Amino acid sequence: MFRFLHSSDLHLGRAFGNFPEGIRNRLREARHGALSRLAKAARDGGTTTVLLAGDTFDAETPAPETLRHALRAMAAESDITWIMLPGNHDSLAATELWRRIAADGPTNLKAVTDARPFAVAPGAMILPAPCTQRRPGRDLTEAMSVATPEGLLRIGLGHGAITDFSGEEGGTGIIPPDRAVLSGLDYLALGDWHGRMQVNLSTWYCGAPEADSFKHAVASGALLVTLDGPAQVEVVETGSFGWQVLTLDLLPGDDAVARLAEELPPPDLRRNLLLRLAATGRLPLADRAALESEALAIAPDFGWFDHDLTTLATDARPDDLDRIDRAGALRQAAEVLLAEAGDPARGQAEREISAAALSRLYAFALEVAA
Amino acid sequence: MKIRAIELTNIRRFAGQVARIEGIGDGITVLSEPNEFGKSTFFDALHALFFERHRGTRAPVKALQPHAGGAPEVALEVDLPQGRFRIEKRWLSRAKACVTKDGRVIAQDDEAEAWIDSILGGGLAGPSGLLWVRQGVLGMEPEGTSTGERNERERALAARRDLLSSVAGEIDMVTGGRRLDGVVARVAEALGKLATVTLRPKSGGEWGRAVDEAETLRAQETDLAAKAARLSGELARRADVQRNLRELDQPDAVRRREDSLRAAEAAHLEADAHVAKLADAQRALKLATVSEEHARAGIERLEALSERLMRAEGDLAAARDLAARQEARASELGAVDVAGATASKAAQDSTDAIRKRLAAAQKARLAQAAQGRAEQLARTLVRAEELRATFEQDQARRTLLAVTPRALSAAEQARDDRDRVAAQLAAQSVSVSFAYTGPARVKAAGTDLSEGPHRLSSEQTFDLPGIGAMSIDPGSATGGDEAGLAAAEGALRTNLAACGAETLAEARRKLTEAQGLDEALRGAQALLAELAPDGLEALRHAHALAQEEAAAGADLPTQEDPVELEAELASAAENEASYRTIALEAHAAFSSAAEARAGARAGLASAERAADAVRAEAGDHAELAARLNDLRAEHLTHLARRAEAEAVCRRLEQLTQDLDMIAAQLARAKSVVAQAQTSRERFREELATLNGSIGTMAEQGLEEALDEVRGRLASAEARAARYAAEVQALSRLRATLEDARRRARDAYFGPVVRELEPLLSVLHPGAILQIDDQTLLPVALVRGGQSEALNILSGGTREQVAVLTRLAFARLFARTGTAVPVILDDALVHSDDDRIEAMFTALHHVAKDQQILVLTCRQRAFAALGGAKAQVIIRAI
Repeated sequence: MFRFLHSSDLHLGRAFGNFPEGIRNRLREARHGALSRLAKAARDGGTTTVLLAGDTFDAETPAPETLRHALRAMAAESDITWIMLPGNHDSLAATELWRRIAADGPTNLKAVTDARPFAVAPGAMILPAPCTQRRPGRDLTEAMSVATPEGLLRIGLGHGAITDFSGEEGGTGIIPPDRAVLSGLDYLALGDWHGRMQVNLSTWYCGAPEADSFKHAVASGALLVTLDGPAQVEVVETGSFGWQVLTLDLLPGDDAVARLAEELPPPDLRRNLLLRLAATGRLPLADRAALESEALAIAPDFGWFDHDLTTLATDARPDDLDRIDRAGALRQAAEVLLAEAGDPARGQAEREISAAALSRLYAFALEVAA
Repeated sequence: MKIRAIELTNIRRFAGQVARIEGIGDGITVLSEPNEFGKSTFFDALHALFFERHRGTRAPVKALQPHAGGAPEVALEVDLPQGRFRIEKRWLSRAKACVTKDGRVIAQDDEAEAWIDSILGGGLAGPSGLLWVRQGVLGMEPEGTSTGERNERERALAARRDLLSSVAGEIDMVTGGRRLDGVVARVAEALGKLATVTLRPKSGGEWGRAVDEAETLRAQETDLAAKAARLSGELARRADVQRNLRELDQPDAVRRREDSLRAAEAAHLEADAHVAKLADAQRALKLATVSEEHARAGIERLEALSERLMRAEGDLAAARDLAARQEARASELGAVDVAGATASKAAQDSTDAIRKRLAAAQKARLAQAAQGRAEQLARTLVRAEELRATFEQDQARRTLLAVTPRALSAAEQARDDRDRVAAQLAAQSVSVSFAYTGPARVKAAGTDLSEGPHRLSSEQTFDLPGIGAMSIDPGSATGGDEAGLAAAEGALRTNLAACGAETLAEARRKLTEAQGLDEALRGAQALLAELAPDGLEALRHAHALAQEEAAAGADLPTQEDPVELEAELASAAENEASYRTIALEAHAAFSSAAEARAGARAGLASAERAADAVRAEAGDHAELAARLNDLRAEHLTHLARRAEAEAVCRRLEQLTQDLDMIAAQLARAKSVVAQAQTSRERFREELATLNGSIGTMAEQGLEEALDEVRGRLASAEARAARYAAEVQALSRLRATLEDARRRARDAYFGPVVRELEPLLSVLHPGAILQIDDQTLLPVALVRGGQSEALNILSGGTREQVAVLTRLAFARLFARTGTAVPVILDDALVHSDDDRIEAMFTALHHVAKDQQILVLTCRQRAFAALGGAKAQVIIRAI
């Protein structure tokens, strides 16, 4: 029996530049913290071996402090053995990175810089397929077919796309889905896909231990794998930040604010949540304004919050226009904008401008009236 | 509201008095009083009642006080729908405001002020302010820049707004009113925070910051991307360099390079030894060749020398022969030259002698000819002198004869005229004939008259001795022209005098004589010209010359005949020329021979020198032949040696390898080794450089920084795009609002225009007024399609428009159910008689449902206004 923790795609050093500075730093810090959480998860699962199936680092030449901090964090978990495979982001072409790791890495870190099988524990062999280039253009896992002494567990460790789902870099999948069978593997630990995915009984993508986009809905974590006969895989959550896309499909009559409240987590769970609100359908002006106002009001609760109402059509009713004005120039202007917003002869961009203008008119009119 | 009575207590000139106007009707009421009566006092007091708080002490209030002081009071009785009310205000001392109805107090003080405000529809800012027309008003609004004047304008504008909102329904429902202004202001504020007036990102605004940040990040991204690309490139290059180094240092490769070098060096040494051997053989061949060629050249030189010696000796003998021949010829021709010269000289002397003789003979003959010519010229000269004397005499005579054929003809004409006059006189005169029979004689003027007839041309008295006197008067019929006859005779005398004669016969004779002299003179002149064609002086000079020539040759002999001498001279000259030619030919031949002799002498000397030189070089013929034989034997020896050396060289050359190829192989082998060494050093240097550069760049975390910048750039661009969309939306909203307001205002002004039209047509049929959408007041009068700004129109027209506009607003008030009186205080002072009549008509038009109070001092002009007459009742307090 051999047990280990299967993880990948830490992408240490990822910048998150498209986020505001505050959350940006928190996200980076969370990625660094994933190392200790992985160590804890391994310990808690009864193992000291952690396989990192590529893309531990986001860049070929990470910042010195990123590398140094990662190596120190690994060293700090001295009871853990880290098996680090080059992925497409930190491929062997990143010679400087691997030179520095070789020079500065702790003793409990094994950097897998060639495809030679090695023993990870008594009775268990790792058959690695390190990425030689960012886009190697060939199936590196062919190397896993190499023979090993009879009776030893054969654990494949690879990085790349296996089906037509695109890898994080959009490459076409070239690892055969049945690589484990083809090469007689007891388990194939793969990295590259940031979401968790089971390919077959003995082939898994573990997903990133700390989510980094809204792409994957599942909670981020690692896989605790026990090889004693068929692989036994247990999901262990390790993520500290939640990334959520909340879509509200609204129609006139819906209480948009109430619907939003229902979907949101309790306020005390919002700080570590990045939430993107997308509203679709249509709402009356007043409800739309209320939804927008509510969105602006709750935004500071979250680690990061964004709302997109551009696909939410305005359904202006007489009551709404009455609140702008019952008659006169203001009413007339509102009706013109409403007509333009729904005029099929106009382009989408023009209609959106008119709809936005109507929303502003509504808000300003209420402000002035107040 | 309608005013029914106004009561002033202790105000201005009504100090200690109460002045009251009563009986103010529904329509027009006119208070027509002279100046200084106090009409404006009523106006100001009424204005104060409505617009000055009872506790107020402003200037308008103080202005109501009489000089004697005291508290001014104003009371007004008005009819409202609820009935008649009395409003009272007292200022300055025991100030109060009070409203009563039927004697019952409705409101006091502040409540009374509020009540007054309510009936004015908005207090001080209410519409009543529109309808007060002060003396001589020209504009529709108070002018000036003081705070009070500005406030007044604002109040009036607000009042107009409210008025129009009431007549158009709800102002906000038409134009959006202040609410629209508020929204527009909010849009402008929101836009102003983001964009410039041209909708560009505003510097310092959120949009501008987003754009600037994106721009900055874009530059950073470009820079970082370039650095990252460089880092990537250098990493790839380092891998290449490391691979190259490994390949260079592989042992097999090193061994191959060294073996190749050793083999090339051995081949090169062997080739070098063979080349040295060949070089020795080639040097031997070259020596043999040089020796053989040297011997052959010696033979050729001696053979040439022998030939030159023989040729020089031949040349010397020929020169000697030629020199001898030329000497003999020169001597011979020298003798001939001397003889020719002597003969030529003798012939020349003979010719000269004959030429002298001929000259003397010719001179003698010329003297003889000159003597004959002198004699002939002497005779001609005598004849010419005689002829000249005769000519001069005839010429003098001719000068004295003045008659000419024309003068003679004139004299004859004068005579004929005289004869004709005399004949006429004779035919007309009385003739008296006397025949005496005794001695007595009839006398006339004391003279005896002969017998016979006497012609009388005029009255004449005859003395008849013994008888007396008798006068005979031929009368007028016989009166002749005695004066004409005298004139004719005078003319005849004058003409004759011109002819130099006293009678015609004498004149004719003199003319004949003159003509004869003219003929003689022409003949003498012709003869003189023949004898002395160049004149007498020339003739005299020719004669003197001939005499001199004859005298010069008088002593010469005249025996020899020049003709003969000339023939002799010609013969001698021909002889001389012949001898001279001979002499010249002889001399030329001698000269040529002498020249040839000199050339022969020089050629001989040259040949002698050449022969001496060749002999000096060659020696004698025997010696030369011996030397030539020796050299020929030596040449044969060298020729054999050369053939032998050539054979050796050919054999060695056949065995020679391609040395260049061997050298190239060696160079290549060396080059490979050197290049490997150079490459190794270069790669090591490059590797060191790359390591340093990569290490430096790797320390910068370029990819992380680039990733972050790209993320921030995307965020900034998205933010800028959102702001751009916001600006577009706000801009669209602003344009839509402005468009809606413009269209609403067009509708908004409708009521004013509709009320103004009928009033204006009274003065200006067909004219319309343009309304300013800010002040809500007329700004231009449009007549006949021409728009004229009000401020350039005459005072009268402006005044009329101002009054009509107020009337129009008054009608609007009336339509809203809040009719307010119009009060005109000495208005229309600028209007002429016709216009003021039209304005009265307009006032009456409005007065159908509008109370109008007119205060005027123009009693006569406003008599035509009609309406009710108000009177002021004054009593003491």
